[in-house]
Amino acid sequence: MAHDARREDYLRMSLRFALSLDEGSPDHAARAFASFGRRFAQSRDSLPQSDADRAFHLVSLATELLDYRLPFVGEELVEPLRARARGMLDEALALDPFCHDAARMRTGLDVASHEERLRLLMERADLVRSSCEKDRDALCELLEEPRRPLAASIAMRPWWRWLAETAECALICGRNHAALAAAEELMDADPSDLSDVRFTLAYTLVKLEDAPGLERLVWRYPTLGDTRADDAWILLSQAALAYKRLELDAARHLLGRLLEAYRGCGAALAQQVEIGDGFFARIRVPAYSEDELVVALSEGVVLLQEGVERTGKGVFGAWVAKTALELDPAAPKGPATKGAQRGASGQ
Amino acid sequence: MSIREDLIERCARKRDQKVGPLSKEAFAELTLAVRENPAGFADEAAEQALLVLADALDSHRAAARDDDLLDDDAFAAERSKRLRRLVEACEAACALDAGCLDALLVHALAEDLEPDELTLRLVGLAAEFDSAEEASADLWDDPLNRPRLRLRAAIARTCIDAARFSLARNGARRVVDATLAAGDPLGARHTLMLACARLEDEDGLNRAEALFSGRESAWSHLSRILLLYKLGRMSAARRALRGFDSLCAGGAYALLHPVYVDLYLPERPEVPACGFEEAVMAVREAEPIIADVPEFIGWCQGHEWLAASARSFAERNDLDW
Repeated sequence: MAHDARREDYLRMSLRFALSLDEGSPDHAARAFASFGRRFAQSRDSLPQSDADRAFHLVSLATELLDYRLPFVGEELVEPLRARARGMLDEALALDPFCHDAARMRTGLDVASHEERLRLLMERADLVRSSCEKDRDALCELLEEPRRPLAASIAMRPWWRWLAETAECALICGRNHAALAAAEELMDADPSDLSDVRFTLAYTLVKLEDAPGLERLVWRYPTLGDTRADDAWILLSQAALAYKRLELDAARHLLGRLLEAYRGCGAALAQQVEIGDGFFARIRVPAYSEDELVVALSEGVVLLQEGVERTGKGVFGAWVAKTALELDPAAPKGPATKGAQRGASGQ
Repeated sequence: MSIREDLIERCARKRDQKVGPLSKEAFAELTLAVRENPAGFADEAAEQALLVLADALDSHRAAARDDDLLDDDAFAAERSKRLRRLVEACEAACALDAGCLDALLVHALAEDLEPDELTLRLVGLAAEFDSAEEASADLWDDPLNRPRLRLRAAIARTCIDAARFSLARNGARRVVDATLAAGDPLGARHTLMLACARLEDEDGLNRAEALFSGRESAWSHLSRILLLYKLGRMSAARRALRGFDSLCAGGAYALLHPVYVDLYLPERPEVPACGFEEAVMAVREAEPIIADVPEFIGWCQGHEWLAASARSFAERNDLDW
């Protein structure tokens, strides 16, 4: 799961291509489709596309820069890279003023205050939604029935990402009911949860210490697109809630399960490195990789760093670090893990 | 309500049971006599232990009076020495009466533990000492119940520091309910209100406020601001902030310039409602909640009238700014 800008770019173009073929003969269509992949890769401009498609392509290029290269570059390259991405997003907005991803990422680049970003996101939410719905309806009218679900999904995704960022932003701001509302709206809009907003929802429910709510979410898991029930977010949430309820044996057991799912990642649990959030969406990482755990822990700062604790790790964070080393004594205590190298140079 | 007052009341009641029942006037006179010379009336181990503790707490407070003259290192050294002496006194009290819960509580607090360790220590004490009592709003009446209530209030406060807000809310609510007839002398409502604010529990905060209407405090004002802010009702939050500033002396200063608050041993010191000391304590207790709303203080600072009010309070009272 998770959003993939490059793949979405490809899907958009293939839909547009299909649209251009629907008027020709079936024979011609089959021949033309055979060449689509090659043309997409090598001579993109020869393919039919709208300004909105061109704008989204720029979004996908900016995403590569911001979400997948920026975290790994040295200090001196951060600003030039951000400037390049900013230029791409500006161009995208010039091509398509309704390129909501570009507008959202632009805000992410320029507005440091999460409160301010949240305000902007909430202010424009209705507009983005109706704009996406309009695109969806127009596109579906043109397409044949079998292609409609994909087209509808692609048209609505900018809105889904808008909501996902709203939820995450609200969670960071400590506005937990706002985070809850955005996450639930998104789960209703996209029950397959392409955005993985259930992760943000799980953390929010822990912040509200809503045990029945978290239990209901766990029950809902099998109905979602990705059915694994032991991702880092849900296990960390369950452990955090048990910990808050002073059910320390249960919390320890859950942390043990987390370490089983993410083998050899005790060091990441002990270090709790903070990385920047993705600008386009939550960054894509392999399931059960150390990188995935690092992403979950980084978003989990809102749970880990709560309370009055002298080392600055937070009450739960200090307990997680200590318990992880007890459960996984082989974990290296030094900072040299893959995750740690990401650094905090992102958003 | 201090431990010394408990001791006096316990001794007087015991004597009354032995020689009484005394008339109201005679009982008042007896109470006076106990106050003058508690050692003369503390003839059983339980009261003797309490007396050791009460004396130790008094000298602990007296020793803290000159702290302002010390630099940071000297203060830290002096403070830890003082806390060690208090721990020793608690041990002496427990040697007289192993069941002296107040001494066990102060002992745990004076060790200055991390909130997590402290929670476990105190919860352990509660498991050992809590008795099943019928639901009642006047448990405070009997001084023998007070150590248990004090312990529970301390657990609720510690739960705020340890980010266990549901436990804090439920625990504080239990103390409020059990001491309602006496008007919540332990101030558990303050903890309750803070926990409700953090959990965005508007109904809970409304109920708590209604129960104590006309008894606003720095905690109730601060809880209301935080709740409204967290719920995104910004103009109402701004009005609540204005209320806090105008009704709590030095509240603006306490919020923008947090002041060090030492451990409560074992209760909050008694201070005037909505005064500066109270604002300072409320801000300290709200610290984990304020830190969880990262741009809250920035938003407060953005109101010029608040910063101006804080500055002028600092100037009037010769405080750092």
